[in-house]
Amino acid sequence: MDTILAALTLIADPYVIVVICLSAMFGLFVGAMPGLTATMATALLVPITFFMPPVPALAAIVTASAMAIFAGDIPGALLRIPGTPASAAYADEAYAMTRKGLAEVALGAGVVFSAIGGIFGTIVLVTAAPLLAEAALRFSSYEYFWLVCLGLTCAVFIAQSAPVKGMIALFLGLFVASIGLENPAGTPRFTFGSTDLMGGIEMIPAMVGMFAIAEVLRALTATGVPLPPVALVRGSIFRGQWALTKKYPIQILRGSTIGTAIGALPGAGADIASWITYATSKRFSKEPEKFGTGHVEGIVESGAANNAAVSGAWIPALVFGIPGDSITAIVIGVLYLKNLIPGPLIFEKQPETVTALFLIFFLANIIMVPFGWLAIKSARYILAVPRNVLMPIVLMFCIVGAFAITNSPFAIAVMLTFGLLGFLMEENGFPVAPVILGIVLGPMLEQSFVTSMIKSDGSFLTFFERPIAGVLGGITILVWAGMAWRLFKQTRAAAANSVPS
Amino acid sequence: MKLNDMLSGAFFLALAVAIFVYAMGLPAMPGQRYGAGTFPVVIAVGLGGFSLLMMVQAWRRRGAGFRWIDWAPWTRDRRTVSSFFLALALVLVYVLLSERIGFMPLSVAILLILFWKQDVPWRRGIAVAVLATLAIQVAFSDLLRVPLPRGLLTDLLW
Repeated sequence: MDTILAALTLIADPYVIVVICLSAMFGLFVGAMPGLTATMATALLVPITFFMPPVPALAAIVTASAMAIFAGDIPGALLRIPGTPASAAYADEAYAMTRKGLAEVALGAGVVFSAIGGIFGTIVLVTAAPLLAEAALRFSSYEYFWLVCLGLTCAVFIAQSAPVKGMIALFLGLFVASIGLENPAGTPRFTFGSTDLMGGIEMIPAMVGMFAIAEVLRALTATGVPLPPVALVRGSIFRGQWALTKKYPIQILRGSTIGTAIGALPGAGADIASWITYATSKRFSKEPEKFGTGHVEGIVESGAANNAAVSGAWIPALVFGIPGDSITAIVIGVLYLKNLIPGPLIFEKQPETVTALFLIFFLANIIMVPFGWLAIKSARYILAVPRNVLMPIVLMFCIVGAFAITNSPFAIAVMLTFGLLGFLMEENGFPVAPVILGIVLGPMLEQSFVTSMIKSDGSFLTFFERPIAGVLGGITILVWAGMAWRLFKQTRAAAANSVPS
Repeated sequence: MKLNDMLSGAFFLALAVAIFVYAMGLPAMPGQRYGAGTFPVVIAVGLGGFSLLMMVQAWRRRGAGFRWIDWAPWTRDRRTVSSFFLALALVLVYVLLSERIGFMPLSVAILLILFWKQDVPWRRGIAVAVLATLAIQVAFSDLLRVPLPRGLLTDLLW
């Protein structure tokens, strides 16, 4: 009880409230802008949160990311262009509703069920995370080693259509993490005499590069067709939403549950959650023939799912320091900067901060409804902001943001390098999220691996001797075997399909 | 620009070999078989292995439409290519010259060049470039206390 009161006083600060309102508007704007994603909103916020105390910093990120995921629905419904990838699954459906004159119903369902899904995910986060943390207190380096392996494998295996490229991206990230002095032996690695590289590759400029600069470069290479003007959304967006809630309770529950689970799995986030739940919604619907013609059922389910995923992704991030999606990968970097080391101990050492974080999650999803209403009503003006003006400003902002972390131009060079790398990787079909996961988890993986090797005197069998480590190790090896089998079949299929030239 | 997977695979394979050779030269911890080189060796083996696998897959998949490099449509448009490289070059210029010239003049210049390249009407371009630069200056330098380089304007304004 004392903790909750202490947490409440942390949030009731006018400074925190102002931060929440401003980041809500920022998140809505970025999410609604086609080409700017929720991950980018988070990456752009980090340099600013760098200068805030922990609670407002986390509040800014939580609010902006939740708002951005919802706001992606707005251009999806009005222009058939999803604002973020998480709204892509049902953009056609929502646009079909707009064509039938039901834009306010589609967008109202977007905001209402996003909020419900987000709150559901938060409830799971609040209940599951402390329980998991209790179990995680008994983990040794062996358990952590397997957990990180499993997390990284999931990230490549579940999310990617090209697992080989995902693995290469992952190893690239691990390599980047190994640059510098920060390793169990304290030996400088891959620094080639550069003092800038001694401290390692700073995570935040690298992420700003991969998620924001790469996006700016892509916008510059896209043949720039300006967005068509959109009409004002008239009528009440909330009329009929209660009826929808009563009509589709199972869909809401299923979407929220699957969304939270997918969010919690490392590497897969809101976009995959919304694709999968749109599919389950159609699969189990009584009226599957209506899907694609402007039918709200799928929007209800996957709209709830993508916001549930945003909350769910925080479960492994807080408890184990393993990010559930690319947003929480950035969050883990922020937590370290704020000296809040993610892991089971965070629940004992900083209970007020964690409770405040949970309360912020509820608050963000509740204020999503009025702020979402405002964003929908002003969609016409938001979408009229010209992108050819916006992108250069984003670029300038990234430059200053990267500089702000270390006050050295080297950080800008890091940002540029990773921006170009991210752009080239995406052009060549390599996913970028595994690189970031590798950078974030590399130090933990090396620490637990080298410690375990020294403890076991080089015997790999010891990695399986403790019961939980044994189970985790067994699952990891099973997943690896499944992956190898899939790769083997793919390679054979590729050979069978090829025409000898 | 899409390289054939055999080319990008070869690139990553070469990187893996370089990491491996470098890591073998790192010392072990005193009295241990393991040390700074252990983990990079594991990375090198993984990276190299998957790069080889990708090359093999690409080799088996090669068919009639085989190309070493696939140029994306944007690479054939000279304007797009030039604005792409211009953006990269401008960031590089900022890295090299920001200490000497200062944030504000460089920011206005970079924004103006990019706006001009993106066909933003010049009056609007100038207004936005100046306002955005002032906004960033106030937000980062005055509110967040980031020491943005003052450069040429040091004597003039401070």
